[in-house]
Amino acid sequence: MRLEIGRFKVKDIVFGDKTFYRDGILTVDKEDALRCVHEDSHITDADLLIVHPGDKVRLCPVKESVEFRCKVSGGEGAYPGATSPLGQAGMGRTHVLEDVSVLAVGKHWGGFQDGLIDMGGPYQHHTIWGDMVNLVLVADTDELEEQREQQKKNHAIRWAAMRLAEHVAECVRKLEPEAVDVYDLPPLEERSKEVKALPGVVYVLQPQTQMEAMGYNTLIYGWDGNKMLPTFMHPNELLDGCLVSGSFMPSSSKISTYEFSTNPMLKRLYAAHGKTINFLGVIMSTLNPKMEEKLRCVQIAGQIAVALGAKAAVVAEEGYGNPDVDYTAMLTELERLGIKTVGISDEATGRDGASQPLVSMNSAENALVSTGNVSQLYELPPMDVVGELEALARDGNSGGWEGCINKDGSCVMENNGMFCANHISGYSRRTCADF
Amino acid sequence: MKAIHYINQFFGQVGGEDAADCKPIFHDKPIGCSMMLNGLMPDVEVTNTMVVGDNYITNHTEEALKEIMAWLDTKQFDIFFAGPAFMAGRYGVGCGIVCRAVAERYQVPVITSMNEENPGVEEYKQSCYIFKGGRKATFMKDDMGQMAKFAEKLATKAVLQPAPEEGYFPRGIRYELPQKDGIMAADRVMDMLLKKIGGEPYQTELVIPQTDLIPPAPAVKDLSKCTIALVSSSGVVPSDNPDRIQSASAQKWGKYNIAGKNCLPSGEFKTIHAGFDPEAMCAVPDRGIPVDAMRAYEKEGKFAKLFDYYYVTVGTGTTQNFAKKFGREIADELKQAKVDAVVLTST
Repeated sequence: MRLEIGRFKVKDIVFGDKTFYRDGILTVDKEDALRCVHEDSHITDADLLIVHPGDKVRLCPVKESVEFRCKVSGGEGAYPGATSPLGQAGMGRTHVLEDVSVLAVGKHWGGFQDGLIDMGGPYQHHTIWGDMVNLVLVADTDELEEQREQQKKNHAIRWAAMRLAEHVAECVRKLEPEAVDVYDLPPLEERSKEVKALPGVVYVLQPQTQMEAMGYNTLIYGWDGNKMLPTFMHPNELLDGCLVSGSFMPSSSKISTYEFSTNPMLKRLYAAHGKTINFLGVIMSTLNPKMEEKLRCVQIAGQIAVALGAKAAVVAEEGYGNPDVDYTAMLTELERLGIKTVGISDEATGRDGASQPLVSMNSAENALVSTGNVSQLYELPPMDVVGELEALARDGNSGGWEGCINKDGSCVMENNGMFCANHISGYSRRTCADF
Repeated sequence: MKAIHYINQFFGQVGGEDAADCKPIFHDKPIGCSMMLNGLMPDVEVTNTMVVGDNYITNHTEEALKEIMAWLDTKQFDIFFAGPAFMAGRYGVGCGIVCRAVAERYQVPVITSMNEENPGVEEYKQSCYIFKGGRKATFMKDDMGQMAKFAEKLATKAVLQPAPEEGYFPRGIRYELPQKDGIMAADRVMDMLLKKIGGEPYQTELVIPQTDLIPPAPAVKDLSKCTIALVSSSGVVPSDNPDRIQSASAQKWGKYNIAGKNCLPSGEFKTIHAGFDPEAMCAVPDRGIPVDAMRAYEKEGKFAKLFDYYYVTVGTGTTQNFAKKFGREIADELKQAKVDAVVLTST
């Protein structure tokens, strides 16, 4: 499977009369862009603004981040099965706008799964978005049935963000990209003797799929991950938008749609392919609430890894708490099968730092990379707010609580509520240590 | 910052083994090796030395602590030192006893130093900063240097590094921090993966402690002659929670008399467990500690006797280390009381 990703580096985003890209500047026709947002009548109010690294601006409640993407050829749109008809992702040509993203923020209502981003101040670098220019969609909806619910599907706003990202990225469809990355990984049998002699490695992804009710989980080609068993996938499918992030799990442990499609872990494995490893591909697993479901997935994923001849695996868990059981069971099972594992996820050590960092632990898990601590307390200075800061305290945000916001706009929160901040996709520049 | 330093009879120049029963001696200035410690810290002043015999502190802990606390109550200090204790077992345990008590009562940083083989390390590393020390007193200057360096960092409010870098035994506490050199997690995974594949040494970022697999005890032969005890992690305690057992991440257990009781009445008992909705168990505490069912079986003669006390802690968030300690302590008591078997209820 061969995928070309044509990259357009964006230095800045500005508003103008027409949407176009030239010399590193993305100009966005706001009115035209908002028309595409309003294609869904559930969006009752929407505005766009631009935030820059270092701006003393706090975004809250953030619901999603999406990369500007245009499927040029060889597929069916940027998010097949979600915003476009079902089609094979991972082939042909996709154009992306680099170093920028679309951020979707609720004008009023937040929830358990939503997060907070600071564009400046002491927590600017806690998320990748603090280091890039973002086009921010601030919207409200008439989804009254979930307005006061702690768990929200955030459907209208999340889908509007994807539409907006695709709509704006249309402006580079016909342009020649400044750089083209080629992702070409042939079928296992067609690889050279030299490549086959290298240790085979699989990437086992456990996206968040624990909600029994539909509409909250990670989507795979538009299909709710709760309703699937582990399967073998080509990494290009992930890099070409087959995954759409869900709307469940404390925010900092989530992987945004932006990260699913730019997945740095996949890119590292790709880069090592043919040099130090034979990158076999992706085992798309799931996370499940019930023990038997967990064990069934682990068993099936383990068998796939063995059948592929994997000698090593990277296992990534999108979440913490109950899904730690799926995570550690996967690592333990692969090790039992003689496959050397490295795990990547975050920890929950409690306010005093003294709680067991993972819900279940087994000494077979002897190579773990830690991307953050959901229990860490952050003290945020006052800042201008985009959205509504009260959502952090009022709406059951996993990192906030009644009274966590001070009169001057400063607040205290747990890492839990910082948008996708533990970057389990691999972007995290934080870790945990013994003190 | 002001500091007080605890040392034993030997380093306090009272005497050797013959003086190990010596009661606390409180000096109004630093003496002996405290002077060396004082000289190592420009921002911390050691104002007093206290000297206690190793046997006295370990054999008469309660009295010793009472005397020590009564004296410390009259003192102003921001930091507390003990040792270094090197490989000396009783000295190490003595330092640990005093350090834990001082940390709990005064909430000040408490620093000591021991060799890794000192039994005080395992018992007290979660209660204070225990620096990794040498085997004997020839390491005095090095060990004290480490303690002093760390105290200076506290005094000057310098950024503290993780335990392995500072040089103390991890206290069972984990926090997040920026990755050194800002290396991204994906790159760290690749580095670890290639090293693990190649059989080269690597350092996991989260060390999983080795777990002990405990083989199940053989089955009871004749139940009708057995004394059985109830042990539980359900958090059911007398309503005023007399031992102040924590609702999560428990650090203690309690035992409560049930002699003559046919059940645990609601109101008199309740659960303090924070890991589930307590309503149903508070309504019928026997759901956690099934005294009612056990009495019924006892009457039927299914087993000989329900032990007069039940033992309880809270399971949620409780660390393996504490769970292990509780298990050992409770098992010791039950063995001494000639209890034959235990019904262990969990939630």
